[in-house]
Amino acid sequence: MPVIELSYSRLQKLIGKVSKKQISDSLPFLGLDIESEDKDLVRIEYSPNRPDYSTDYGVALGLQGLLGIKTGSVKLAIKKSKNYGITVKPTVSKIRPFVTGIIAKNGKIDDKTIKQLMTMQEDLHFGIGRKRKKSSIGIHDLDKISFPLIYTTVSRNHKFIPLNSEKELSISEIIADTETGKDYGHLLGQSSQVPIIIDTNEKTVSFPPIINAAITTVTSKTKNLFVEVTGINKDDAEDMLSVVATILQSAGFTLEHIQISGAKNSSPKLQEKKMTVDSSLINQTLGLNLNTSKIISSLKKSRLNALSKGKNIICTIPAYRFDIFGPMDLVEEVALGYGIQNFEPTISPSQTLGQINPISLQLKSLNQTMIGLGFLEALNSSLSSKRVLYDMTNRDSKNIISVLDSKSQEHTLLRDSILPGLIENLSRNIHESYPQKMFETGGIFNLDNPISEKTNLSAISAHKDANFTEIKSVLQTVLKIGFGIEIQTKTAVNSSFEDGHCANIIFNGNIIGIIGEINSKIIDNYKIRVPVVGFEISLSDSILKFI
Amino acid sequence: MSQVFHDIEKKIITSLKENPIQTPETLEKSTQLLPDQIRRGIEWLKLKNLAIVDESKSSTISLGKNGLDSFEKGLPERRLLNLVKNGPRKLSDLQKELGFIFGPAMGLCRKNNWIETSSDKIILKITPSILPGEKTIQQIGKNKLSKEQIDKIDLTELLKRPDFIVEDIIKSKKISLTTSAKSIDISNTSGAIDVEAEVPEIFVARTHPLKDTIDEIREIFVTLGFSEILGNMTQSSFWNFDALFTPQDHPARELQDTFFLDGISAKKIGTVEQISKVSDSHKKNWRYQWDINEARKMVLRTHTTCVTIKHLAENKPDEARIFSLGRVFRNEKVSYKHLVEFNQIEGIVVGKDANLRNLMGIQREFYKRIGITKIKFWPTFFPYTEPSLQTMVYNEKLGKWIELFGMGIFRPEVTKPLGITKPVLAWGGGIERIAMLKYDLDDVREFYNNNLGWLRSNTKCQ
Repeated sequence: MPVIELSYSRLQKLIGKVSKKQISDSLPFLGLDIESEDKDLVRIEYSPNRPDYSTDYGVALGLQGLLGIKTGSVKLAIKKSKNYGITVKPTVSKIRPFVTGIIAKNGKIDDKTIKQLMTMQEDLHFGIGRKRKKSSIGIHDLDKISFPLIYTTVSRNHKFIPLNSEKELSISEIIADTETGKDYGHLLGQSSQVPIIIDTNEKTVSFPPIINAAITTVTSKTKNLFVEVTGINKDDAEDMLSVVATILQSAGFTLEHIQISGAKNSSPKLQEKKMTVDSSLINQTLGLNLNTSKIISSLKKSRLNALSKGKNIICTIPAYRFDIFGPMDLVEEVALGYGIQNFEPTISPSQTLGQINPISLQLKSLNQTMIGLGFLEALNSSLSSKRVLYDMTNRDSKNIISVLDSKSQEHTLLRDSILPGLIENLSRNIHESYPQKMFETGGIFNLDNPISEKTNLSAISAHKDANFTEIKSVLQTVLKIGFGIEIQTKTAVNSSFEDGHCANIIFNGNIIGIIGEINSKIIDNYKIRVPVVGFEISLSDSILKFI
Repeated sequence: MSQVFHDIEKKIITSLKENPIQTPETLEKSTQLLPDQIRRGIEWLKLKNLAIVDESKSSTISLGKNGLDSFEKGLPERRLLNLVKNGPRKLSDLQKELGFIFGPAMGLCRKNNWIETSSDKIILKITPSILPGEKTIQQIGKNKLSKEQIDKIDLTELLKRPDFIVEDIIKSKKISLTTSAKSIDISNTSGAIDVEAEVPEIFVARTHPLKDTIDEIREIFVTLGFSEILGNMTQSSFWNFDALFTPQDHPARELQDTFFLDGISAKKIGTVEQISKVSDSHKKNWRYQWDINEARKMVLRTHTTCVTIKHLAENKPDEARIFSLGRVFRNEKVSYKHLVEFNQIEGIVVGKDANLRNLMGIQREFYKRIGITKIKFWPTFFPYTEPSLQTMVYNEKLGKWIELFGMGIFRPEVTKPLGITKPVLAWGGGIERIAMLKYDLDDVREFYNNNLGWLRSNTKCQ
């Protein structure tokens, strides 16, 4: 989850009369986890579905509501204007068809605000922008641009000076050489034409979704902003724009309209939407008995507007709250406005009788039997490595199941056997006293349209007198006592075991496992200094009873 | 009162009475005890002032590789002198004949003025009759002699030469009885044993500590009226993500968080109706092109919720309390806080009266039963529940609030497409976290190290 650093003193200025303690006590009840605090600074973690919390302006709006300082929804006041327009050329349709935007004037931007706007932009890109694929934002210094603008395409030879550069680069160079070019250039595919926003003097403003032009860079001297959002879906682009517009208005900017036309594009509306929720759904879901006025005041504390019509609550939801899909989301808004700390937990008597799964019960009895035989329970990961599963134990690695791009080299393959892991465990305990006897029950995996998962039991005994007879006695007893099963052992050859000291385990005519003295090469591989015997049997097919 | 003797002590005393001065080796033979038992028995008797242990050191001398060479062919300087006995010889010839001993031999002969060199010839001046060390080499020969038998001056000389002499130091113990011990009548000693003596450590066979915690949690769920369901660790993306309203282009579905199985897709992922309704919900709410091939990709489950949602979709119960417990996987770097594979518990309540306060009440009851009473709830976000909460529990040892289980009510966008009509409460979290608190561990990897030192010493009832 994304993290943002806020300052208490800045928040206090934005919220109004409020103490530092009130803020830190209230943050968690907005769903914001405090990661760490250092005097005036507080680092909070917010949910990706609330990008408005990526700036202190957004957090301040939320806290004002929760603390009852200012409630109800934030209305966007967008001045009608004919000074700003964007014309869209049909060539963009195939590559990034939609553009939208807004003008924000007469604001004050200090370095902290710039930093916050940039964090918000990155979080929007990552979350609802799906790493700029669905939509991306550019924020520009309005006074460096001459309207109207054109959203069109250019060839990869087109040149301009991109952000953070001093010289002119071609589109191809930007994609090959700049950091954002390398990260996001793939979004444009192999297309020879790329999207571009150009002003009336044919100056490049932005090359979405990669980079802005250097000339429109926002600094602490900037007063007026032009915000553009491009994307592959018009609604997503407008959602993104609504967050930026709301935050900029809260930061003291005056918003002005941009007229957009051409190639199925139109001006953004950033309209509120209406949604109805039945008050009985609210009370049933929360386990409360709130009257409609309490529901309405709770919604207002969550910065929504609401009125009642009989049992129904009609809610007005500002555009930036696109995380609200349906009535159940409004139920949560009521809960938050009401205050989670005000909920008294209750317990209703169970209507059902509890039961341990019969398989779990049988495995537990099996474990107890193994412990009674003097074996200690081990636990290994089901994700293991080629080294442990195959290389060190001489096993055939033909049908491995591997995971993609594991961050841990020790966890790249799903185990098809438990025994190799137990032998590896012995190698880590050569300094501990012997005898060492361990067992493990757990899942193993095999390819089978697509994968079959089975439960196996494996046991291992290592000490100077370890021998076949000892381990066969253990196997025989655990199956006899655990399941009333009698097995036979028939000579077998297996690369993990010593020749002539290895047998298949037979039950009802089927091979269900293998037993024997572990091959001395494997023991040498692991530098274990005593003989090792062991077995592994499949429990799933014929031993465990599925009831 | 007669003295108390261990069997080992009795055997050693008896043997020493027959044969008063012995070594541990002879005692082993006469008593048939193991070396370790003899060692311990002697220690005990020594502490009781019943045995005297006389430790002595002695050296034996034998010839090393070069010493043996000289024994057979003569000392290097003697061999050089012999070669020039019958008249001057060319230096280069001598060098060839004597090989690597030529250097040391020349040095010694020159130093003692036995030879002189003239241009490239070597000429004998005097032949000494006996060289220092010569006699001693012959005396030792191929034998081992005690150091005292050997001429000290000769030995000092020879020890200066590399690999001529091998000296072995032998430690020996001579054990005898003290006067008071000699008068002990073993047949008349008591049958009692030394109950105050230290005993050897033995090790218990036991369940794994993490398994103890898992079993404990399983029992608690059962006593709260929940029934256990099981499910696969490998799942299609459909059940792990799509059915839980996680869009296909969501960052959580990327390789860095989720383990995808290399090249493995499921043929059958659900019923036609399930697939079409789930995909409709995605298209409508998330506005993108839903792709069935993406849903077919097999993953290692990132939560047990895929098991519970599948169960609910198949059974559509009106009332139910179920839980599922098992391994889940995250593609993270392994550290003291993170494992790629860990256990998760998840509880589900279905029923027309299931509500948020009940959900909080069940949490409070659960925590009470694992010994945690100071808890609070905070709102949070999960893609598939609304409202969503997390529990914070106060840890006295750490002196701070820590996050434990997450919980919520399944979103209608999850339940409706799968035909589940009643509200579903769901909660759960990692078991290792609880076990770490219980066993006071600060490194979660310890649970899967199978370190016998820890497993054998960890206290079972905590």
